Amino acid sequence: MTSSPRGDRAPEPEAANVATEASLLARAKAGDVDAFEQLSGAYADRLYMLLLRLLGDPEEAGEVAQEVMVRAWRGITRFQGRSSYFTWLYRIAVNEANRALGRRERRPPSVPLGPQEIDRPTSPNDDPARQAENNELRRALAAALAMLPPPLRTAIVLRDVEGFSTQQAAEIAGVSQAAFKSRLHQARLQVRAAIGDDVLVAGG
Amino acid sequence: MGYADDHQWSQRHLSHYVEGDLSHRARRRLDRHARDCADCGRGLRALRALVYAIQGLDGLAGVRAPATIFDRVRPAAAGGPPAPQNA
Repeated sequence: MTSSPRGDRAPEPEAANVATEASLLARAKAGDVDAFEQLSGAYADRLYMLLLRLLGDPEEAGEVAQEVMVRAWRGITRFQGRSSYFTWLYRIAVNEANRALGRRERRPPSVPLGPQEIDRPTSPNDDPARQAENNELRRALAAALAMLPPPLRTAIVLRDVEGFSTQQAAEIAGVSQAAFKSRLHQARLQVRAAIGDDVLVAGG
Repeated sequence: MGYADDHQWSQRHLSHYVEGDLSHRARRRLDRHARDCADCGRGLRALRALVYAIQGLDGLAGVRAPATIFDRVRPAAAGGPPAPQNA
């Protein structure tokens, strides 16, 4: 297992209070929109970031986020708690993102993982040559990820970027763990091939 | 098992190795082969670097969802409460 540069990540936001979440869920199921907004609002930022990573377009991500919330509202009575509410909401988001990607012509997202990471030095202690190498690697990574077919991009975003466990990521993607791992490995191999070992080893 | 078999098998399992998905025995097989095979050793380093670099792409930290995210929920709710579970 590789160690993460971010240290131990906690992928799933902690619900402030499980009892509160259960109560909000019950009220939302009964038709209370305020409760639904409070319940889902806790995860809105992370959900939007996921959509931005998958779609690469802030405007489209915003539109799809609205659609996710409408679908979650309409389907909330069917949520039976077999997964966490967060996982359920994320699964709707992944499905909607894939639907959006299917609707548009295949084109690389303009902002695959967010503009902020491009040209940003990884450490103030790095020398300029090192920073340039890292920036080149970031650009290459962003471009390679953008070219992946949606299921493979989803796998790498959920596991490697978002930091979900394989089990959680597979649940969100709606596939078995074995199928998810297969997609993840395929995605990594395609990105590796697109970037080239020379760039990776030099920048790693 | 020959070098060629080990090489093909190792190439197919580099990502599984990095992910920690290999059994102890399979891990040792790949370790043994990668010690003598420059290509697989380099492949392992490249994949580790790749995963590390992707994990480091955290440029969206702090991005907020648009305030309009629930704008379509209230009009949808105006048509009535969510459909009952067995409807």
